Amino acid sequence: MDQFTYNDMTFAVAPSGQAWDIVRKLPNGGDAVVGTGLFPGVAANDAQVRALALVKAIYPVGVKIVGPDVAHATMIGDLKIVGPDVTHPNFIYWDKDSVSCPQ
Amino acid sequence: MEIKGSVVLVTGGGNGIGEQVVKYFAKNGAKVAVVDMVQKNIDRVVADVKAMGGEAIGVQANVTSEAETAKFIHATLAAFGKLNITVACAGIIKDGTMLTLDKETGKVSRKLGLDKWQPVLDVNLTGTFLTLRDSAEAMVNGGWPGLLVTISSVNKAGQVGQLNYSSTKVADALMPKIIIGEFMMRGIKNIRCVGIAPGYTATPMLTGMNQDALKAILADVHLGRLVEPEEIAKLIGHCVENEAINATTLEITGGLCYPHGIAK
Repeated sequence: MDQFTYNDMTFAVAPSGQAWDIVRKLPNGGDAVVGTGLFPGVAANDAQVRALALVKAIYPVGVKIVGPDVAHATMIGDLKIVGPDVTHPNFIYWDKDSVSCPQ
Repeated sequence: MEIKGSVVLVTGGGNGIGEQVVKYFAKNGAKVAVVDMVQKNIDRVVADVKAMGGEAIGVQANVTSEAETAKFIHATLAAFGKLNITVACAGIIKDGTMLTLDKETGKVSRKLGLDKWQPVLDVNLTGTFLTLRDSAEAMVNGGWPGLLVTISSVNKAGQVGQLNYSSTKVADALMPKIIIGEFMMRGIKNIRCVGIAPGYTATPMLTGMNQDALKAILADVHLGRLVEPEEIAKLIGHCVENEAINATTLEITGGLCYPHGIAK
């Protein structure tokens, strides 16, 4: 079983017949399934590359972009100071690795 | 379209009708993406698919979020390279009448709150919309034959105590007509859309209820029993294989009637 780390999470790729099973290793020692029977007939090295691409899609590195909270501006004289809106639904994923977890 | 070799995405695939849809398609040779809010349900269902020798991924996601919808679509494409069938099973109920009166004064003592209204609309309506929209985007851009499936309910007819749920389910029933009309308008020919409207179904929610209440429900079902989730999955499978079924919502109720006759 090969393991790799992505964004502070550890994943294991194990053969299952002619295909591959992928699990995320949980801090409590358990596993969370990512997929089973994947990439049939693919060699181990390629399977690991494809597994990394898959977990990047499922667990994207995220940067939360919050919009301005125009409803609750702070007034200083006639200057309106608009802070972030923590309830704003915008969430933009960043598909690059972080500096601390390079590919 | 053939089921064998196709790629199926099922939201709410971790239990109930969605779980049986996942297993039906896996058993018949499809590759399946199981989307659910609860990881342990995903683990269980994917383990069952593994035991069948099938191919599946599990994605924990909230269907009410645009970003998470994009996530499970991208994951499906990353794993399997295409998407053919999407079944939007994720749904919730939060029942209650719009107004409740005080028995002594006859005045309104309680109103149906947004805490019960909004989550049902978010999951059953917005979640279905986002799932179908992004699935259709992938199918159009990929050029793959596709089928979009909404899960409505026989309670689309209007069920007291379910103003929220029935409102979403009538909308889910209407979606196939509008979506296919728009596909005609835009020249999109590779994707069909159907709705499935189950009656009382043998999910844990119903089988676990008060048995006298369940008996009263079954008294109005001509078949004399609950519809099995596997039967709903088979109907969806039939919709995949029969391309003439399109832009419509099919009921599967076992013959649900108003008390003492007249089919609903």
